[in-house]
Amino acid sequence: MKRYILFVIALCVTAVYMFPLYWMYITVFKSASEMFQYPPSFWPQHPESHLWQVFSERGMGNFLWNSLVTACGTVAVTVFVGTGAAYALAFVQNRWTSFAIFTVLVLQALPSSLMVTPIFTAFKALGLLETPRLAVVIAQITKTLPFYIVLCRPSFVQVPRELRDAALVDGASPMRAFFGVILPLAVNGILVSAILVFLQSFGEYVYARSLILDDQYQTATVGLSAFVGATKIDWIGIMTYSAIFVTPILIAFMLLQRRIVAGLTAGALK
Amino acid sequence: MNTLLRRFPRANAFEISLAVFALLYLLIFAGLPLIYNIVLSFQQVDLMEPATLLRPFVGLANYRDVFGRPEARQVLINTVLFVGLSLTLQIIIGFLLALLFAQDFPFASAMRGLFLAGWIMPGLVVGVIWKLIFAGDYGVLNHVLMQTHLLHEKIFWLSDPAWSLYAVILANVWLGVPFNMLLLSVGLAAIPADLYEAAELDGANPLQRFVGITLPMMKATLGAVIALGAIMTMQQFDLIAALTQGGPANSSQVAQFWSWQLSLQTFEVSAGSAVATLMLLLVLVVAVIYVRSTRNERMV
Amino acid sequence: MTQVTDTYLPVNAGRRTAVDRIQIERLSKSYGPVQVLKDIDIRVPEGCFVALIGPSGCGKSTLLRTIAGLERSTGGTLRIDGKVVNDMPPRKRDVAMVFQSYALYPHMNIEKNMSYSLRLRRTAPQAIRECIDGVARTLGLEQLLARMPRQLSGGQRQRVAMGRAIVRNPKVFLFDEPLSNLDAALRVHMRSEIRKLHERLKATSVYVTHDQIEAMTMADHVVVLRAGQVEQQGAPLDLYHRPANKFVAGFIGSPSMNFIEAVIGPDGRNAQFGGAQSQTLDLGPGRTLPAGTAVWLGLRPEHLRFQGGERGINAVVDSVETTGSMTFASIRVEGVEAMMLVSHAGVSSMRSGDAVNLDIDNEHIHVFDRKTERAL
Repeated sequence: MKRYILFVIALCVTAVYMFPLYWMYITVFKSASEMFQYPPSFWPQHPESHLWQVFSERGMGNFLWNSLVTACGTVAVTVFVGTGAAYALAFVQNRWTSFAIFTVLVLQALPSSLMVTPIFTAFKALGLLETPRLAVVIAQITKTLPFYIVLCRPSFVQVPRELRDAALVDGASPMRAFFGVILPLAVNGILVSAILVFLQSFGEYVYARSLILDDQYQTATVGLSAFVGATKIDWIGIMTYSAIFVTPILIAFMLLQRRIVAGLTAGALK
Repeated sequence: MNTLLRRFPRANAFEISLAVFALLYLLIFAGLPLIYNIVLSFQQVDLMEPATLLRPFVGLANYRDVFGRPEARQVLINTVLFVGLSLTLQIIIGFLLALLFAQDFPFASAMRGLFLAGWIMPGLVVGVIWKLIFAGDYGVLNHVLMQTHLLHEKIFWLSDPAWSLYAVILANVWLGVPFNMLLLSVGLAAIPADLYEAAELDGANPLQRFVGITLPMMKATLGAVIALGAIMTMQQFDLIAALTQGGPANSSQVAQFWSWQLSLQTFEVSAGSAVATLMLLLVLVVAVIYVRSTRNERMV
Repeated sequence: MTQVTDTYLPVNAGRRTAVDRIQIERLSKSYGPVQVLKDIDIRVPEGCFVALIGPSGCGKSTLLRTIAGLERSTGGTLRIDGKVVNDMPPRKRDVAMVFQSYALYPHMNIEKNMSYSLRLRRTAPQAIRECIDGVARTLGLEQLLARMPRQLSGGQRQRVAMGRAIVRNPKVFLFDEPLSNLDAALRVHMRSEIRKLHERLKATSVYVTHDQIEAMTMADHVVVLRAGQVEQQGAPLDLYHRPANKFVAGFIGSPSMNFIEAVIGPDGRNAQFGGAQSQTLDLGPGRTLPAGTAVWLGLRPEHLRFQGGERGINAVVDSVETTGSMTFASIRVEGVEAMMLVSHAGVSSMRSGDAVNLDIDNEHIHVFDRKTERAL
C-alpha cells in the first residue's frame, strides 16, 4: 500500500517537473491562433506542424551543422588530450599530481561569461576571430577539458595498478602498456565522458555568441536566441526550433542514462 | 632526465608527458586569460584602437567607474539574492526528491532518470521554454495560479521589475534540481542502513531519525552540494540571456551577465573586466574551499 | 587436482658461469625521508630458490619489485648476470613475475594472456602456438585457453599467472606471495608444485612470502628481513638451528620459540631465571659466558620434554590442547611472566594443574644477549 502511495506521489512530482518539456512539445503542434489563446489549451485542438518550414526558413541546417562541427572538434581535442592526462593523474600519485588535480578542479569553476572578456579581447588582437569556429573550439576546450579529466579519472583509478606492472614485466614499454592493457579497460568511462562533453558543447551558448560574429558560422544555440527579442514572438517557430534542436540530445541521453549516472556518481563528488 | 625521473619512482617519462600536455593547454588558455582579465581591469581598453594586448594603465579607475554606476548596487543585491535563493530552494527540493526516490516503489529509477533530462537540456532552450510559460498575457503559469486562486490578476513575470528576478530564480531552480538531487541521493545511499535500524530499535520516530542520523551524516555531502551549487549558479548565463537579459531596468541583472554585457554589447571592456575580476575572485575562493575540503576527505 | 606432468617445458640453457644470476650489493631505497631498504646484500646463484620473508612492512615486496624494475633503488647496485641494471626498465631485464593477485589481463582470454609477452616480441605465431600448448599441457590449462579470467577459479588463475611467467623462459622468476589468496589445502598442494617446476625448469627464483613454513619447505636459501634490513640469510635449517638473533629465532619455526629472561650464573656455565632467580638451567659443556650477563633463553616447544626427575625446569601445566596427532601444553614457570608452550607428537597424559619438570638438550638451548638480542 505504501509503495502505491509513493508511486502516485512520485508520478505527480515527476509530471510537474516534466511540464516545461511537455509544454514545448505541444506548442510545436499548436496552430497560430491557438497559440495566443487565453486560457491556454493543454492539448492542441487542431494539430499542425511546421517542422520543415522552420528548419529551412531559419537556416537550421546550417546552424546545426556548425554546432556539430564545433562540438566534434571540441570533443576530439578534449578526448585526445584529456584521456592521457586523466590516466597520468590517476596512476601517478604524488605532490605534483595532487596539485595538478587541485588546479584542474578549480579551473572547472570559472564561469565562461567572465572568462569571455579576456578571451575575446585577446583573440581579437591575435586575429583568431577570423576563424570563428576554431576560436570557439579553443575557448570551449578550457571548459570541457577539466570537466572531462575529472569525469574520466575514476575510470583509470579503478584499473588495478598491478596490471600495468605485469605488462611492464612482460615486456611492454609504458606506452604500449597504456594502449594495450589499461586503455581497453577504461573505455566505458571514456565513452560516457566523451558523450557528456559532446552534449555540453553542442548546447554551449556564451562562447558561440561572443566569438562568432558571422552568421554563416553561427551555432544552433545562438540561432535560437536570435528568434527571441523581437516584438512579436513566433512561439511556434521557437518551440519547433527548440524541439528539433533538443530531441536528439534527449534521445541520446535517455539511451545512455544509466551509464551516465554511474559515471557521474563516481566522479561528481571528487 | 634520469635525476628528474628519480623524483617520480613509479612514473615514467611517458606518463608525465601526457599530463603535462593537458596542463600546459589549460595554463595557456585558461590560466593566462585569468591573469589577462586582471590586467585588463587596470587598463583603459578601447577596442576601436589598433589591436594590441597591452593598453594604457589607469590604476583603479575602472573599479571606481563600476562602483559608481547607478546599477551597481542593484546588481550586487540581485547577485546575492540569485545565488542565495536558488541554492536554498534547489537544496530543499533536491533533498526532498532524493528522500522520495530513495524509497522503494515501482518505476522509481525510471522516474528519477526523467529528472536528469532537465539537467542535460541546454540552458538557453530551458530559458526559452520558461519565457513562454512566464508570458504575462497568455502564459500557462498565470493561468494555473489563477485557477487555483493563488493569484487574482496576471503577473507580468518578465516585464515587471518587482518579479523578474524571481522568475529567473524559479527557472534556475528548475534547472538545478536534478544535479542537486543526484548528489544528495549519492550521499543518502552512503548512510549505512543499520544505523536507522539501531535508532528505530532505540525508539526514534522518523523525524527524530532524520534529524539525528540523516542530517549529521549528510554534512559532507551538503557542504559539497552548497559549494558546487554556488559555483554553478554563478556560472549561469544562458537562462538570463533567454529570459530577461538582465532587465527590465536591471531588475534581474546579475554580476556575470552584467560583465558580459559591458564587454561584448556596449564594448566597455574596461568596466566588464573589472566586474569579471571581482566575480572571479569570489568564484575562486569558493572553488578553493570546496576542493580543499573534499580532497582532505578522500585520499584519491 | 592437477599434477605437473613431464611433458614439454622450455628449459633454461643453463650457463654454468661463475657469475651469480643476481647480485644485490648495498641496495637501498627511500621514499623521501622514509628508508624502506637499507644496505641489502644478497647473492642468488643460478638455479637457486631464494625466499624473502619477514613481517609486513619489512620491505620484502619492495625489494622484489626493485629486482623487477618496477621500483627504482636510491642507492647500491643491482646486477643481473653481471650487468648493472639499476636504471634498466623492466622489459629489458628478462624477468617474469607472478603477482599476489595474479594480475591477469581481464580483457584478454587465457591464451592471449599467456602469449602477450611473446606477441610483444613479435614471435612467429607458430612458435607462440607451440609454446603455449606446451605450457598449458604442463599446468593442465588446455581446456581453459579460450576462457576469460573472470570465468576461472582462484586456483586456475594462479596457474595461468605461472604459465604466463613460464612461457617467457626468463632469467629469473619472481613470486610475490602467489599463494596467499588460495585456501589452505590448495596452498599446500601448490607449494610442492612450484618447487617441482623450479627444479624441472632449472630456474632461478626469488619468492616473497610472510609464511615461514612456505619459505622453509620450498627454499634453498632464506633471507629474513625486518624494517628494510637483512636480519639473517642462509639455508633454511641453518636459520632454524643457528638463528643469529632473537628476532630470527622467534620468526622461524611454528609454533614459535619460547623466550625466558635469565641471568648468567657466577660460573658462566648456567643461567638463572624464575622468581628470585630460583631456577637454574645448565647450559652444558663447551659454552662459557660472562657471569651476570642479562640474557634471553630461547627454547623451542618441540625441543622441551616432560621429564620425570629433578634436572631442568620446574613448572605447572596450565592447559593442554590436542589435535589428535600433536599435543600443545601451556605451562607456567613461577616468576616468568609469559607462558611457555611445549609441543610433542601424540596424545599427552598431562592435565591442567600438574606439576612438571621439563628437560631440553644442551644444543637446543639458545642464548641471546638481552640488550643486543644477538646470539651468544
